[in-house]
Amino acid sequence: MTVRTRYFAICSLLVVGVGLSTGLVAYYVGFPTSAFAGSSGPDELRYLPATSTVVAFANVQEVMTSELRQHFRESVLQSAQENGQREFQEQTGINIETDIDRVVAGLDVSGGGTNGQGTGVVLARGRFDEVRIEALMREHGAHVDAYKDKRIITAEQKLPAAPDPALVSPAIPPVPQTPQSFSLTFVEPGLVALGTTALVQHAVDLHSGGGESALTNEDLMERVKALGNGNVWAVGRFDVLRARAKIPDAVADRIPPITWFAVSGRVDSGLQAALSAETRDEESAKNLRDVVRGFLALAKLQTSSKPEYQRFVDSLELSGTGNKVALSVDVPAQVFEALRAALPKPPAQGGIK
Amino acid sequence: MNGRPAFFASALRVFDFSLGQMLWSRRSVFLALLVGAPVLLAVVVRIFAAAGWLPIVNGTQVGGPALFGVLMWLLFVRFVVPVLGVFYGTSLMADEVDDKTITYLFTRPVPRASVLLGKYLSYLACVVLLLLPSIVIIYFLVVPIGGSIGQGFPQLAADLGMVAVGVAAYGAVFAFVGAWLKRPLIVGLVFAFGWEQTVLLIPGYLKRLTVVYYLQALVPHAMPQESALSLLMTAFQDLPPVWVSLLCLAGIVMLALWLGGWAVENREYVLEQ
Repeated sequence: MTVRTRYFAICSLLVVGVGLSTGLVAYYVGFPTSAFAGSSGPDELRYLPATSTVVAFANVQEVMTSELRQHFRESVLQSAQENGQREFQEQTGINIETDIDRVVAGLDVSGGGTNGQGTGVVLARGRFDEVRIEALMREHGAHVDAYKDKRIITAEQKLPAAPDPALVSPAIPPVPQTPQSFSLTFVEPGLVALGTTALVQHAVDLHSGGGESALTNEDLMERVKALGNGNVWAVGRFDVLRARAKIPDAVADRIPPITWFAVSGRVDSGLQAALSAETRDEESAKNLRDVVRGFLALAKLQTSSKPEYQRFVDSLELSGTGNKVALSVDVPAQVFEALRAALPKPPAQGGIK
Repeated sequence: MNGRPAFFASALRVFDFSLGQMLWSRRSVFLALLVGAPVLLAVVVRIFAAAGWLPIVNGTQVGGPALFGVLMWLLFVRFVVPVLGVFYGTSLMADEVDDKTITYLFTRPVPRASVLLGKYLSYLACVVLLLLPSIVIIYFLVVPIGGSIGQGFPQLAADLGMVAVGVAAYGAVFAFVGAWLKRPLIVGLVFAFGWEQTVLLIPGYLKRLTVVYYLQALVPHAMPQESALSLLMTAFQDLPPVWVSLLCLAGIVMLALWLGGWAVENREYVLEQ
């Protein structure tokens, strides 16, 4: 072997060795090693508990001003949307369309909660008239308490009326209902936390430096950082949700053993979304991919004569390796138009003559 | 007086002088283009990503890990590895015959088969020394786009192993083809891009007579679905477990090299005047 060949071999092995070593260190230490690494998520994550089962984010400003949403304002859901927004504004004084820039939500089912439903909190950043909001909530029966250095406005949930005993089947006992309190507080100027009282108080605790936030949950943050640049996303533990949902065994056995799930999407002129799931092992992921592939093939065959659906189905792309399964979709606005045109129109107002 | 050198010692001696010959030959310009083009492509992709020009393809904006997977599957597994196997493997003995230097090798007191083994080892070293660093460079250029180097490291290690195994398997098969047949390049191309691609689409046992069937079981990236037909095909595809694939590929390498050695020992190479 000549000297030139020997040096070439050494350089080549050096490149491979340095590359593998860097990758190995990054794998165990977990640093991104790149300016293009995924972002660490919104700041508001530091006010969610470390035990959060599901974490979600939405850039409300971008979604509300998107072309797609402007199209949907004229859709059949318009009245339902406006009613919901109006009711929320009447209760809290917050106009979703103009006052909120972005929201981060957390759901924590690990603590049990009442009725096993878990507790949730939504952190909204925007422009809020604190005095007006507090006054409005007091009008609706809320009371204000001091917690650490924050004012927490709490409204007790009204329980539905007890069912008529004559109508209740003895075989199906009614679910005992315990009231959950709903609270709101201004964690800092421009940031409101609303949700179950326990988590709102926890957010205040985290603001004052006590407790562990979602940022310390490495498993969760690793998946948040791996998300793309969508303006809406959610990450969570599917297996924990399934365990809390008390699904019958016959049904639960048929659900794939998914551990983590992540959904991210970008709403602008259309909708680009990606859903990924991690399973317990590679065999489960392979089976899940096979099932999804089968459904995709069937959907493509079924929609071959329906152009409005075909474009949607054609944009579905399955991928994933190891124990991950990912499904992405890209739906331009024209597809929504076509789908809306294909849907049956709602009956005209005024009733049947 | 010493007897003939041992088989493996002879092979190592042939490997020693063949490696430099192979690395600095004209054929290596072609190899450099094959491994350099993907690196250049990765640099362009990185520049596009920095400028925000990365396209949105069938879903969310294409991320680095997905891009790397596509490059590995479509470029390296389906094209670069078979092409290198064909062009280098078939020429191991054929070049010596064409250059009329095979006589000098066969008049040495070494087993003829060790010449083939030594040249095969030099091919393996030459290709691996060029291919693996290019994959590592592409990984560090592409994966950080919306992804994490640490998170994708197991895939990189698996990809490097898979490429090395593929290079070894294809090289052994085409070394045998080159040692046995008179026009090995054409046969090699037909096998790699005709037989293997066609048989994969046919349900049944024929696909087990290919190298790519076992190689793609090692590929950690999901194969892209281009159409309903390929979706249905992959839905019915049964890939062998990784350990079976590795065992079969090792068996292919050993069988092909043994057959190649047998061909070299028994065939009469007629030099054209």
